[in-house]
Amino acid sequence: MHQLVGRLNSLDPQAGETLRIVSYFDVLITRGAGLDGLLRGAAVLSGTVAGAQIRGRVTRRDPDGHPVTGHAAGRRHGSRRSHADWVVWLERDGEPGPDDEMIVERLALGVELLDARRSPERGIDAVVDRTRTVAERTALLAERRIDPAARVRVLATPADAPEIGEAPSAIVPTRYGLLRATLDLAGTVRRPPEPVGFGTRVRADRAPESWEAAVVALRLTDASTPAVDAADLGAMLLLAQTYDPEHPHEDVRVLARLDQRSADVLRTLVEADSVRSAAAELGMHHSTVQARHEALTHTLGYDPRSTVGRMRYIAAALLLRLTDPATAARPGHA
Amino acid sequence: MPASLPRPPFDPELEAVLAALADQIPPTLTADMIPDMRMSSPAEVTDETLEADGLTRHDVTIPGYLGDEITVSVIAREDHRGLGPGVYHTHGGGMVAGNRFSGLSQALPWVVEHDAVLVTVDYRLAPEHPDPYPVEDCYAGLLWTVEHARDLGMDPDRLIIAGQSAGGGIAAGVTLLARDRRGPRLAGQVLIYPMLDDRDRTVSVAQFEGVGVWDRGSNRMGWTALLGERRGTDDVSIYAAPARATDLTGLPPAFIDCGSAEVFRDEDVAYATALWHAGVQAELHIWPGGFHGFDLTAPHTALAHAMTAARNAWVARTLGS
Repeated sequence: MHQLVGRLNSLDPQAGETLRIVSYFDVLITRGAGLDGLLRGAAVLSGTVAGAQIRGRVTRRDPDGHPVTGHAAGRRHGSRRSHADWVVWLERDGEPGPDDEMIVERLALGVELLDARRSPERGIDAVVDRTRTVAERTALLAERRIDPAARVRVLATPADAPEIGEAPSAIVPTRYGLLRATLDLAGTVRRPPEPVGFGTRVRADRAPESWEAAVVALRLTDASTPAVDAADLGAMLLLAQTYDPEHPHEDVRVLARLDQRSADVLRTLVEADSVRSAAAELGMHHSTVQARHEALTHTLGYDPRSTVGRMRYIAAALLLRLTDPATAARPGHA
Repeated sequence: MPASLPRPPFDPELEAVLAALADQIPPTLTADMIPDMRMSSPAEVTDETLEADGLTRHDVTIPGYLGDEITVSVIAREDHRGLGPGVYHTHGGGMVAGNRFSGLSQALPWVVEHDAVLVTVDYRLAPEHPDPYPVEDCYAGLLWTVEHARDLGMDPDRLIIAGQSAGGGIAAGVTLLARDRRGPRLAGQVLIYPMLDDRDRTVSVAQFEGVGVWDRGSNRMGWTALLGERRGTDDVSIYAAPARATDLTGLPPAFIDCGSAEVFRDEDVAYATALWHAGVQAELHIWPGGFHGFDLTAPHTALAHAMTAARNAWVARTLGS
């Protein structure tokens, strides 16, 4: 209960502070909290006054969450972000705190999203929002002079990635946190920053499908493959799109529980032509790999070298990458 | 895990706090975590913070249940003169943790604003000291407070009792004891998300299992520590679990607040309703999307501001008259 809980502003600044800040703002933004909530969050996390000026109107909050109207407690710190319509900042005398920059960055993201949602000429977040009606999306496309039948695709990049040239974009809350959606109109986007997920090519009025594919593609990027095109996933895309990462399949949970060495052995076993060649690649004795193969077959509940077993492994490995490790590690439902 | 019941969502700001503190707030506290709970109770109130508020404190050893020694702190404004209103405080901590300074930040503004004299009691904790130690220690502290009221600079006719969580349940129990033993007449009872019902049978208890703060499992742990095998049986007094009281007539006016997203919601609403049925004045606030103790954990949020303002306004009307 509450006695266990340290105050947000008196936490150990070492461990996981970045995650704390990101989690805090992700929830605020995903749940549609307003400017006051964003500013209170920035103030409590930084321990100083946070402010915003949106189209001339100034709002400031102290770490207790109360409005501040007097003169600034400190200078508006270097950690302020300027955009066309708004500015956000922290007020602090002396040295900036170690997390000031990140806090202002997340605050800025939140204000950008809020501003986009509330401005009459909304950003493209509504264009990729499946919960809006086709009529609504069509009207928004028309405002942007985009033909609803035009072929487009949507790109997914991390929320803190820069905008891609002049292409219309917005910060969008997803199940994987905040991401930037950029609308690519017939090859206008060149050299996007990596990592990047490319959505499928669709009619503009079906942009949410492309966006959801792009989010999956971004999730599948890694250091060796920093750009993934959803179109390259073929029919696997259908599988990925129907998957609920909150409720992983047992095949996914089993993979998540394997230690790194077992996971390597398993992948090699699936990819190799024979157990013998797998042993060679792993630098292990044939009989050892044979024994690992049998043990893995028992653990998985299927033989990863059979045709069906390979399919199950490949599907589970794909879905595992769409799953939060903590969720995958939790015991499954009966 | 059973399919979870639908439940009111957390307030967005409060959910953000839960997300940020996920590694620090396990929803379920178990008996083996009691030593940690006691260790990690932060000293919210120190002599420095009291001095900054213009307050003084002195500690007194007094007789508790069966005459054993317990400690109370008396807190008043440095410039206090004559007789002011009184606040008798029973802290929270699930019956198993906390000390007389826990949660005190809720009541200190009343000392500052209304020149009240506050007595806060270190009652003995379960499971080492099971029922009736906690509630009887607190009742003994109330008797001492009233007997010494004038020496403490307190008007005994303007004395309220206040506690949060387990301390809210104890405050309700002490109020019932005072009525039934023809003890002190209290001017009001401030029951802050009180823990009233050991029977583990409301919808809100079932809704918050493995989620939020002080969930169903934690609550069972707390009641088991207090009552042992008597938990949920007919062998539990109304002073240990005031939700069991069927006659609430003759009690002082009550203020009750709670979140809509916590186990205590339904038992707290039921207690307010039972008070009204018995002809007792009561004010009830259920704050939408509030988890247990959110005003202490997340005092910067809009919902915490609203909760605190409503509670302080009731105290101002009650003490200020």
